This record gives sequence, structure tokens and C-alpha cells, in this order.
Amino acid sequence: MLFTDRSLWTMIHGIVLGGIALMALFAALVSMSTVRTAEGPYGATEGQSRSVARLTVLIALVLWLGVLVGTYVIFPPYRATPPEGGTDLSQYPRSLLLASPDTAWLHAFAMESKEHMPWIAVMLATAVAFVGVRYRSTLLMNAQLRNMAMTLLAICFALVSFVALMGVFVNKVAPLQ
Amino acid sequence: MATAGRPREANVGAARQDVANGAALASFLGAGIGAFAMGFFASINEAGIFVAPTLYGPAGGVSGRTTFAIAAWLMAWGLLHNRWKHRQIASGPVSAITLTLIGLGILGTFPPVWRLF
Repeated sequence: MLFTDRSLWTMIHGIVLGGIALMALFAALVSMSTVRTAEGPYGATEGQSRSVARLTVLIALVLWLGVLVGTYVIFPPYRATPPEGGTDLSQYPRSLLLASPDTAWLHAFAMESKEHMPWIAVMLATAVAFVGVRYRSTLLMNAQLRNMAMTLLAICFALVSFVALMGVFVNKVAPLQ
Repeated sequence: MATAGRPREANVGAARQDVANGAALASFLGAGIGAFAMGFFASINEAGIFVAPTLYGPAGGVSGRTTFAIAAWLMAWGLLHNRWKHRQIASGPVSAITLTLIGLGILGTFPPVWRLF
């Protein structure tokens, strides 16, 4: 079999969900920024407001799926303990990383960051999605709300980019197979 | 004659400018509190002060820490929403507190910070 279930889940988590989240975050930031520069009589229309609201909901949904898959599907096999006396650690990524001082940081820094930070991104994205759906055009036309929402989405983008990069590093050295 | 390039749909922003901002700010501040809670539970776990119970064995302690933080976020959001949903709130201080809490939360989930304990 070319890909195992575990490697497929890793690809769904990182490439599909992570990739969609990053693209949608970028699109939402650009859309909101475009509206900001088009205030006055050419401000947001109902259609634009609806699109931005849908985009923020998509971001929140994809991030929720990403953290749930990451925490409850991918993390358990990653942290599984190898059998006593076992020498082949290829099926036990955490133990494989910790076995060498050169790669131990990939668990101690990269994976431990990935355990918690994405959950912050989820909360921020959900907050913005709620405001997008509830306020629609007001979110885009009210400068204070729009700036705060954009700031939270920008933080989200930074967090997701960082944990995605850490995921690439971990998966490059100790992939789930 | 219609203005060239003008979207067909009406600009509806001005009509909704007067909607109370309380629910939005409650949502933002609630997320800030949730972010802080995430960093707080991760940090006190690493410091050995409080270890959240494992709620799903295969995932280990992270299942408890994240669930506790999510619960704190939802409770804070719910309480703030009930109090603020019909009110107009000064957004400057709420935004500043929200961003501070998010910053502290991110620091609390950053492994190099744990090594300081």
C-alpha cells in the first residue's frame, strides 16, 4: 500500500486542512483590507459582507477540524511508547526524535508548540466568524471592529504558519508511516 | 445615468453602523481570555503546579489542558455576551486587554518560556 492510514491523516491535517486555512486566512485579510481602502460611497455591499462572513466561518470550521484531527487522530500514534527493548523506532516518532540530541528539539520545541498554539488560533477564528455572521456589513464598515477582526486573523495566520512549518520539520525527520 | 463601476447592490454599511458592538467585543475578549487560559494551563502543567486530568488516554495530558482552556473560553464568552450584547462598549480598552491576553497566552504555550520556571 502506497500510503498508510496514518500518513493519509497527516496529509489531510497538514496539507488539506492547514493549506485551506492558510489560503482562507490570507483571502479574508485581503478582502477586509480591500474594503477598508474603499470606504465612503463605495463601501461594502451585502454580497461582499456575506462573502467575508462565509470565509471567516470556513476558516473557523477548517481550524476546528485541523486541531481535532491533530490532537485526537495524529498525536496519539506520534506519542505512542515503543515496546521495551525495541530498536526500530520508525513507528514511534516522538521516541525517534528524542533518541538523538540533534533531533530532540523537534519534539521539545516544535511538537510541544503544536500541541497548544493551534487551539488559540481556533478560538480567535471562531470569535471573528461569530462577529462576521452576526454583524455582516457592520463588521466591514465599522473601522474599530474591522481592525480588531483583522488583527485577530493576522495573529491566526502567524500562528497557523508557524505550527505548519514546525509540522513540516517534524514530518520530514520522523513521519507517521 | 448610473455611475460607472458602481456595484449593483446597495451599500448597506451605513444603515447598520448603529448596531451595538457589545456582542462583538464580548466575542473578542472571550477569545483573549481563552487564549490566556490555554497558555496558563500549559504553563502551570510544565511548572508542576496543576496537571489537568487526561480526558483521552491515547492523546495524554494535552486532551485535558485544551478541554479546560476551551471550557474557560466558552464560559467567559457566554458571561460577557449576556452582559454586553445590547450595549455599546468602548472598544479601545477592550481591544488592548484582548491583545494583551492573547500575547500572554501565546507566551504561555511557547516551550522556551517553560524552561524559565
